[in-house]
Amino acid sequence: MSTTLIKLENIEKVFYTEEVETHALSNISLTINKGEYVSISGPSGCGKSTLLSLLGLLDTSTGGKYQLAEHDVSGISKTERARIRNKEIGFIFQSFNLISDLSVEENIDLPLSYRNDLSKEQRVKMVKDSLEKVNMSHRAKHFPSQLSGGQQQRVAVARAIVGNPSIILADEPTGNLDSENAAAVMQLLDVLHAEGATICMVTHDPRSAERADRNIDILDGQIISDQSNPAHKNFDAATA
Amino acid sequence: MIMQDFKYAIRLLAKKPGFTILTTLVMATGIGLSVYLFSFFNMLFADLPFKDGESIVIIAASENGATNFDRLSIHDYFEIRNNVKGLSQFGAYSEESVNVIGREGARKYNASYTEPGMFELTHTVPVLGRTFATKEDKVGAENVVIVGFDIWKNQYGGDSEILDQILQISGESYRIIGVMPEGYSFPRRAELWLPLRKDAKQLSRDNTEYIRGFARLDEGVSKQEINQQLSVIMQRIEQKYPKTNHRKSAYIGSMSMSSVGSGIAVVYSMQVVAILILVLASINVGNLLLSRAVERSKETAIRVALGAPRARLISQMLWESIIICTMGGIIGFLMVAWGLEITQGITAGFFPGKMPFWWVFSIDAFNIKLFIAFVISTIIVTGLLPAWKNSGENFNDALKDGTRGALSKKSGRLNKVLVISEILISLVVLICASVMVLSSYNRTHADIGAETQGIIVADVALSDARYDLASKKSEFINTLQSRLENSTGISDVMISSTLPGLFARTNKLEIEGKEYHDNKGKHEANAIVITPGTLGKLGVELQQGRYFNNSDNGDDKRSVIVTESFVSQHFPKQSALGKRLRFTENDQQNPSWLTIVGIVEHTRQGDNPTRSKLPSVFRPYAQDPRVQVTVAMKSALDKTSVTKILRDTLRSIDSQLPAFRIETYTQSVYRVSASVRFISSVLLIFGIAAVVLAGSGIYGVMSNTISQRTQEIGIKRALGADEKHIINELLIAGVKQLLWGGIPGTILGGALGFAMGTVMGVGINEIVILSLTTVIILGTIVILATYLPAKKALQLEPSEALHYE
Ligand SMILES: Nc1ncnc2c1ncn2[C@@H]1O[C@H](COP(=O)(O)OP(=O)(O)OP(=O)(O)O)[C@@H](O)[C@H]1O
Ligand SMILES: [Mg+2]
Repeated sequence: MSTTLIKLENIEKVFYTEEVETHALSNISLTINKGEYVSISGPSGCGKSTLLSLLGLLDTSTGGKYQLAEHDVSGISKTERARIRNKEIGFIFQSFNLISDLSVEENIDLPLSYRNDLSKEQRVKMVKDSLEKVNMSHRAKHFPSQLSGGQQQRVAVARAIVGNPSIILADEPTGNLDSENAAAVMQLLDVLHAEGATICMVTHDPRSAERADRNIDILDGQIISDQSNPAHKNFDAATA
Repeated sequence: MIMQDFKYAIRLLAKKPGFTILTTLVMATGIGLSVYLFSFFNMLFADLPFKDGESIVIIAASENGATNFDRLSIHDYFEIRNNVKGLSQFGAYSEESVNVIGREGARKYNASYTEPGMFELTHTVPVLGRTFATKEDKVGAENVVIVGFDIWKNQYGGDSEILDQILQISGESYRIIGVMPEGYSFPRRAELWLPLRKDAKQLSRDNTEYIRGFARLDEGVSKQEINQQLSVIMQRIEQKYPKTNHRKSAYIGSMSMSSVGSGIAVVYSMQVVAILILVLASINVGNLLLSRAVERSKETAIRVALGAPRARLISQMLWESIIICTMGGIIGFLMVAWGLEITQGITAGFFPGKMPFWWVFSIDAFNIKLFIAFVISTIIVTGLLPAWKNSGENFNDALKDGTRGALSKKSGRLNKVLVISEILISLVVLICASVMVLSSYNRTHADIGAETQGIIVADVALSDARYDLASKKSEFINTLQSRLENSTGISDVMISSTLPGLFARTNKLEIEGKEYHDNKGKHEANAIVITPGTLGKLGVELQQGRYFNNSDNGDDKRSVIVTESFVSQHFPKQSALGKRLRFTENDQQNPSWLTIVGIVEHTRQGDNPTRSKLPSVFRPYAQDPRVQVTVAMKSALDKTSVTKILRDTLRSIDSQLPAFRIETYTQSVYRVSASVRFISSVLLIFGIAAVVLAGSGIYGVMSNTISQRTQEIGIKRALGADEKHIINELLIAGVKQLLWGGIPGTILGGALGFAMGTVMGVGINEIVILSLTTVIILGTIVILATYLPAKKALQLEPSEALHYE
């Protein structure tokens, strides 16, 4: 029996820029359960990143209702949203978005540093664990500019998971990587998923989408298909 | 292609109007102030407008090493003239003002008593007549005069028959032998020239005359060489005549500087501050454009990656600088033109007569050249360097760096260095500027000790020839005073050698009962003579004893009134009434003792911050008659009516006596500090400009840094940092920079301010307060420059911030 983590009802997003109204998303209703691995695909400009931003509370919708872990988060304060992003959500970006002034371990510690329920020792341990998970312990003291793209993205993954978020949101995590590094990152997500993480990933790449157990397709800001991945049917059944 | 780049630059500038306006204004201020400054000093130090004018030098005396173009003893002058190598075309001159009686009655003119050769030195020939012949410089020769163009035009209506006419100058007749061309008033502001007729052989060293020398520096000889020779010659004289020449030396300076006189110290300090402001302005514009270039390094890298030729990239970046610097420069230049026009009007007011004739503050070829040079160099510094730096190597790094979406480490560090140096220099400039402003404020706002309202003052100078005896002088003053007092409309008449607030003659004095071994131990005070009743009518309050009355008149009486400052200096904790003092510098061998009969409040004479504390000693005019007096008249009438009454009264006593410098008491007190007031307001403008430059510079760079960090802020917010976190983090960074720049800045600025303060009469407490205030102002700017842009960046949704370019 799966619990509902995310519930979107009739979400819409309109961008108003100098005389132009862009309907980036319209009428999106969607439920994501705990432990699910969802991929979102669609042509460029269809609204994938916008949807992910709304899910991650990086932006607010212009209409509809959003429930995260059974709480309505549509109208909450900025501070509250920051707190939820910090504790419940882990982000992985296409362009890594590491802070170049900070070393690898400082980058990973960053989300923990915004919390005040953790002791110094706990934080050190959590950073160490998550570095180990992505297999980057040997680069803890390096700076982002001293790493390859694949390594940087692994650090970004470590940063996303360090606070044990309820959901990992990834926007084309392999978009800037070659196939070998891409495969390594995808492998990492597989492992995280196997350990119980909920993942929602935007991707262009059908091979990446195949790894998810649910595929959502978007066109012009609307969901046009939402189906379980046939390849994972058995797997799902087995675990259910 | 050039047009395309130009249009692109315009589009970029239009896209960020705030940035464009800010940089243009900073540029305008920077170029404006520096061109103004340089024009001002170029004018003060300008060479004379004669052929070979740069080789004309003035020989002047220095005392204790202070070079203030003091006058030189004629004995020393002849020694120098006979011994120095490398100077030629010598002459001695002395500037004085003289009474001239012409068609329009008596008037004061600036005269230059000179040895022959002055006109030859300046390669100028008279428009009419001739210059002085050598024989005319002998004592006893015929009295001849050369008049300036103004006298010829105004007193003689340009009469071509002027030669050989007789002019009454200070009670003597002179035959006119020449007229100088328009605009000529060498050495400074002479309106007529008379033979000097001073022969050192006929004078003793103890009773010497003081003059300045002029000469031409031989080709290939430096001023230093001459000055070395002069100090050797003067040392020799000092050994021979230790009494008269104690610590005296001589030096040569260029003519133009000699007009500035003792104001030179103020001018130098002003120069230091102004140069720092210039540095600040340049750093600011460089900063702003550089951080803009850094901001666009990714764009540049992309263009390089796309194969853009380097020249093209540089041209594109340069356009932006060209537009900003040129626009700013033109605005600044217009301000300069306006500022110089004002300066011309104001500086003219410093001089009771005429300004040095070559001081013309206006836009000329020099300013224009300077302006072009400044604009070009700012374009090069602000445009070419960042462009060069950004257009070449490492574009790959920039690309890679850019994709990581955070401010690159290198440019982050650069910004920090910029902000820190801004803070440091701003502090130094602001502390120095505020010390100067405070000093001149103190000078112009101190209490002079008298009431100046409703009083008209005028100077009257008795000629030595006709008022040779003390009794004649006293009699004249008595008659003048009583006739004026009986005129309708004049309520009070006060006659004195000088008034409170104006410069006074000082004298060395001794106090009875104290031992004195040499001159050094003698005290100094302003020695002022007044007619009875003057102090009371001026509102100088009596504190003990009595004012003078008619019983003090008579040169056999020996009474003085001293100021309270005199008492606290010489008779602390005891009554000074009845104590005796005597002046020791007068010619008398055995000066008489003078008894203190009254004590009045302190009066300030002149505006020098250290000298204005000097106590004063007042004597009745009848006991020490002087040739020049100031007549102050209290009246409800206007200046013209009072002037008429005074002129008529004077004429009724002596038809040859002019009254000059007629103005209100307030005006004449104001004139004393006019140059300081002017410099003070210039400083205030410079100070405000410094605050604006420092503020806008710091704000500009800091807010740019934060806007460059928008994406980083987005990332942090995505990771759960709330607004408070972000703002705190930025504020801490800002405060750190404030400390890094602020601590050395305060130390350096405080030290400089202290050094200036000791010269300019600003105390250590005041400097501490000024420094703290400055730190607080800059701190506020730093905090605002963090808080406001941070707030703005936080207004974006995190998703927008993440994609911010
Ligand atoms: N801040 C914004 N202001 C205005 N319009 C925006 C904004 N962000 C996105 N859009 C518009 O919304 C639409 C959806 O954009 P979105 O970034 O979600 O596309 P996407 O599906 O992620 O595309 P891609 O695969 O190319 O990343 C686009 O038409 C885009 O132009
Ligand atoms: Mg996208």
